[in-house]
Amino acid sequence: MMSDVYIAGADMIAFGRYPDRAYFQLGAEAALMALDDAGLSIKDMGAVYASSVFNAQSMLGQKMLKEIGQTGVPCINVSNACASGATAVREAFVAIKSGLYDAVIAVGAEQNPRGMLGGAPPFGPPPEGLFGSESMPAVFAEAGMVHAARYGTTVEQFAQVAVKNHHHATMNPKAYYRRETPLEEVLASEIIAEPLTKLMCSANVDGAAAVVLVSERKARELGMGRAVRIRASVLASDPYEPRNPEMFDPNSVTRLAAAQAYEMAGLGPDALDLVELHDCFATAELLHYENLGLCGDGEAGRLIDSGATALGGAIPVNVSGGLLSKGHPIGATGVANIVEIVEHLRGQAGARQVDGARIGLAHVLGFGAAAGVHILEKA
Amino acid sequence: MAADCTVKARPAHRIVRIAEDGRPRIEAYRCENCGAVTDSQTMACRACASRKPPASFGVGRTGKLWSWSVVHRSYPGVAVPFISVIVDLDDGLTLKGTLRGVDTSGLRQGLPVRLVFDDAGGAHDKEGVPYVGFHFVPQGDA
Repeated sequence: MMSDVYIAGADMIAFGRYPDRAYFQLGAEAALMALDDAGLSIKDMGAVYASSVFNAQSMLGQKMLKEIGQTGVPCINVSNACASGATAVREAFVAIKSGLYDAVIAVGAEQNPRGMLGGAPPFGPPPEGLFGSESMPAVFAEAGMVHAARYGTTVEQFAQVAVKNHHHATMNPKAYYRRETPLEEVLASEIIAEPLTKLMCSANVDGAAAVVLVSERKARELGMGRAVRIRASVLASDPYEPRNPEMFDPNSVTRLAAAQAYEMAGLGPDALDLVELHDCFATAELLHYENLGLCGDGEAGRLIDSGATALGGAIPVNVSGGLLSKGHPIGATGVANIVEIVEHLRGQAGARQVDGARIGLAHVLGFGAAAGVHILEKA
Repeated sequence: MAADCTVKARPAHRIVRIAEDGRPRIEAYRCENCGAVTDSQTMACRACASRKPPASFGVGRTGKLWSWSVVHRSYPGVAVPFISVIVDLDDGLTLKGTLRGVDTSGLRQGLPVRLVFDDAGGAHDKEGVPYVGFHFVPQGDA
């Protein structure tokens, strides 16, 4: 019988700007922190899964090992847009599940380019503005406007996502923005792409996060007290949608991954105590309430209004501050979301702790498209 | 070789095709097995994986607004604001483009629009050959 897979160590560096350090040093630091958390050494790791988008071709995993110990194990360097981190964790999960290894590490590390990310490679004249906008804010603004047109979702409801997640971040010392932003301030900040203002867009930062995955045998050896069981590890690519790719569809790929994750875990959204989902923009968070089944279709606006997704509510979402305020170092994001869930399941999340959390879900969405969903349970 | 006195314009967007006589048109591909429409000639159907490559068809220029965003900040050097739109063409292809000639207060899902070919902002390639692009206008406008 195949072994369950456990997370024995999880940690992340504070997200922010690190102009004087290299991306692989950020990754190496996160790796050491996660190893220390597990009480293991890099010499115990059977394989290294390293994720990055902007440094994907640089042999990130090997560069990290040159910082912390060249053990000669396989390094698998992955890039899968904003789902890269979840992809590394999922590959690590598969490796343990296969029985080939007792312990592996997944690390996401990134130094983002500054400025607005995204955009198509030029073909003929630069397309931006001539053929609409390919900027990420515009793409997620348009996705939000479909919801607004169909269900009457208001700009205030989208903005409340930023109010909530910025509030959560004030309780997370590793978040980049740690400041309350009242609704009036969110609405009055610079308009980027209607209905998105600047405070409804994710923070462009550097960061790194790591998790150590182990077999059941290894978990028992280490002691199950702090272990977290991976109930589901799912990665999906986008199915055909008539409007995709001209209109990026964040919904169908997330729904596909979520359905598979709930099936693998043998539970439904009602069983979740907290969720970290891919709030790259405020509009996206409301779409994913429905995509992950936290509410019915068309009910996301009412769900945010009800306060259910704030800390203390029935299903707190992005208590880390989310991508909006914790920050979005692309290749590290999917690992960091899992680190956040682990901290809550261990009861170590400090002021933002979700009381009695036993089961949590981490979701990321990669443009192009990929979706990763992990469901974790306190062992 | 005699100099060509009429320079054939180049497509500024992969969806634009230019006929021998220089007239632009929009072409898409439809799977004969499942009916799925795509914007490019794929090796098999993207939706049903049928090995019969989707067949090309000419796409009419009328459609309806599906979504939009008024873009106020874009990449450095790009003139703002402009209206980025997603249009469902009546013949079954969805395109992203820029909508011109409409007050933003008139934006609504289902707004009938028309695709208009243009000179892609007056762009030329290195040899001075002009480009053909497109934008959308509300139906009824020129």
